[in-house]
Amino acid sequence: MNLGETIRSAVWSLQSSKLRSFLSMLGIIIGVAAVVGIVSIGLGAQTSVLDMVSALGSNLIMISPAPTLGRGGSVSADPRDVFTVQLAQHMQERSPGIKLVVPLVQGSGLLIYGGSNLRSTVVGTTPAYTEVTNYKVRAGRFLHDLDLEHQTQVMVLGSRVAERLFGQANPVGEQITYVVGDRRYSFTVVGVMESKGQVLMGNYDNQVYIPLTLAMERILRTKTVSTLMAQAASAEAASEAVQQAEFLLYSRLGTADGFNVTSQDEMLETMGDVAFTLQLMLGAIGGISLVVGGIGVMNIMLVSVSERTREIGTRKALGAKQRDLLLQFIVEALVLSTSGGAIGLLVGTAVAEGVSRFGGWPTKIQVSALALAFGFSALVGLVAGVYPAMRAARLDPVVALSYE
Amino acid sequence: MTKMLEAKGLTKVYHMGAEQVHALRGVSFTVESREYIAIMGPSGSGKSTLLHIVGCLDRPTSGELAIEDRDVRKATDNELAEIRNRKIGFVFQTFNLLPKATALENVELPLIYAGVRRRERRERAAAVLERVGLADRMGHRPSELSGGQRQRVAIARAIVTEPAFILADEPTGSLDTATGAQILDLFAELNSEGNTILLITHDEAVAARAQRVIRLLDGRIVSDTGGSEVRA
Ligand SMILES: Nc1ncnc2c1ncn2[C@@H]1O[C@H](COP(=O)(O)OP(=O)(O)O)[C@@H](O)[C@H]1O
Ligand SMILES: [Mg+2]
Repeated sequence: MNLGETIRSAVWSLQSSKLRSFLSMLGIIIGVAAVVGIVSIGLGAQTSVLDMVSALGSNLIMISPAPTLGRGGSVSADPRDVFTVQLAQHMQERSPGIKLVVPLVQGSGLLIYGGSNLRSTVVGTTPAYTEVTNYKVRAGRFLHDLDLEHQTQVMVLGSRVAERLFGQANPVGEQITYVVGDRRYSFTVVGVMESKGQVLMGNYDNQVYIPLTLAMERILRTKTVSTLMAQAASAEAASEAVQQAEFLLYSRLGTADGFNVTSQDEMLETMGDVAFTLQLMLGAIGGISLVVGGIGVMNIMLVSVSERTREIGTRKALGAKQRDLLLQFIVEALVLSTSGGAIGLLVGTAVAEGVSRFGGWPTKIQVSALALAFGFSALVGLVAGVYPAMRAARLDPVVALSYE
Repeated sequence: MTKMLEAKGLTKVYHMGAEQVHALRGVSFTVESREYIAIMGPSGSGKSTLLHIVGCLDRPTSGELAIEDRDVRKATDNELAEIRNRKIGFVFQTFNLLPKATALENVELPLIYAGVRRRERRERAAAVLERVGLADRMGHRPSELSGGQRQRVAIARAIVTEPAFILADEPTGSLDTATGAQILDLFAELNSEGNTILLITHDEAVAARAQRVIRLLDGRIVSDTGGSEVRA
C-alpha cells in the first residue's frame, strides 16, 4: 500500500467521523492559532517599540539626573544641581565623541488661542534640538540663536497642538496665550513641526517649543535643566561618547550613582531583549497548548484503535502488513494534526489581522513563525500517532477479529 | 488435481494462566484443487482454530503446513500477510465489513494491499459485485444492506483476489434459513466455477451441500468422508 493511497484512506476515514475529527483537532487548532496570534502581536509590538526608539533621534544619548537617597543621616548632594547649561556647553566642547548637547527643561501649562484651549507640555530648548531628534519643520521656522539671546516670546508648535488649536488654518504669525499658575505670557507662533508620531517617551507632536533661556529665567525660574540630549559624533563613537559623558558627570559629582547615561543603541537592546523574552514566554504558552492538543490527538487515536479493533483484524485477514497499519494510523494522526495546524494558521492570522485592524495594535506576521507553528503541529501529530499505531500494528489478528 | 493444502499433525495449545487448552491435537489432511469441504463438529471442537491456522492468521504450536507446496512454518509475519492476501479469501460469520465504506470500497480493500492500481481495482471490484448479484448496490454502506447482501459483499471481497481457496467460518450462522440457502447456492456456483472452498458449519443441512465432510471432536479429526480417496 503506497503513501498516496494511505493518505487518501486516512482522509476518508477522518471524514467519515467529521465531528469527532474536528473536536480532536481543536486542541491543535487553538495551540497553533495561539502561537501564531501571540507571536504576531509580540513581533508587531517589538517592531513598533524599536521604531519608537529609532524615532527619538539619531545617535542619541539621553543624560539625566537620578536623585539618590541620602544615606544614614549624611546629606548627599542633589545631582540635579550639576545639570546646568554650563555643563551642557562643557560636555559639548570637551568630549570628542560628542557632537552636540541639547539641554531641555519641561513644564506644563494651558495654551489659549481664540476660544479654544489645550493643556500641553512646554519644552524649553535650543536650536540644535531638531538636529539631535531628527525633527523637521513643516511651516515657518524653529528656534534661532537670537531667540535665545533675546529671550523672545516665540513658540514652535507640535503638529497635534497646531491641529487642535488652529484646525486647518496656518498658525504662523498668530498669538497664543500661555497660562502657568496665575501668570500669563503672550507668544507669537513662528513655526509648526512635522508629525513624528509616538516615540518612546512621549509624543513630540503634543509639545510646544520655546527658547531655553526664556523658559529657565522667566517662566520656570530654574537654574538647572531636566535632561541633556547629546548626539554622538557618529554611530561608531556612541559608546565612546557615553563614557566621556559619564566621566564628566563623575568628576563633577564624585559618584557614579547620581545620573543615567543611555545611548539609543542601549535602549534598542534593552527593549529588544524585553520584547524577545516576552515573546518567548508567550510562544512557550502557545507551545504548551500545542502539546496539550497533541495529548488530545493521542487520546482520540487510542480510542480509535480500540474501537476499530475488528477493522484492524479484518484488514490483517485481507493481507495488511504491520507496516500498513502502522502507517495508516500515523498518517491519520498526522492528517488530523496538520489539518488542525492549517486551520490554526488561518485562525491565528485572522486574529492577528483583526487585532491590528480593530484593536489598533501593531502586528507582524512572520512566515518563519507560521512555518514553525505548523511544523510543530506536525511533529506533535507524529509523536501522538506512533504509540496508538504501534498498538494497532501489533494486534493479534485472531484476537482482533473476535473482539466484541 | 493439484494439492492446494497439506496439513500434518497440527496442534494448537492455548495457555490460560497455568492451564493449557489443547484446541487441536494433531490434525492431518490435504485439500485438492476445486474441492468443496465442510468442516463439522460441536462448539469448542477446534474448527475455528483450524481455519485460522490454515488461513495463516495464526501459527500452529506444532505440525507441518504447506500451502500450494510452500512450507509456511518458517514464513515471517509479512510473508504470512502476503499469503493471506494472495492465496486466501476469508468469509466470516459476522461479515466483518468496514461499516463506513461502501460495498465497492469494501471489496477493493484486499486489492489495495495487493498493490493494484485504483482504476483496475474499481473494475475488478465492480465485476465481482456483479458476479454475486449486487450490481445495483455498489454504493451502499453495510448498514443499508440486508444480512444476505452483506454476506455477498464479503464473499465478493474474498474472491476478488482470485485466491487459492476460500475459507468460510459459519457463513450462514447469522442468516435465516432461506437467505442462508441462497448463500450456499452461491458457494456451490463458485465451486463449480473452479474455486476451492473450506466451510465451517455445525449444521448437517449445510454440510450436505459439500462434496467432502471433515468431522472434528476435541481437536481431532474423527471422520473425513466424500473425498476422492478414502481418508478416515
Ligand atoms: N484465544 C484463545 N485462548 C484460549 N482458548 C481458546 C482461544 N481460542 C479458542 N480457545 C479454545 O480452544 C477450543 C477450540 O475453540 P474453537 O476453535 O473456537 O472452536 P469452534 O470453532 O469449533 O467452536 C475451545 O475450547 C476454546 O475455548
Ligand atoms: Mg468457531
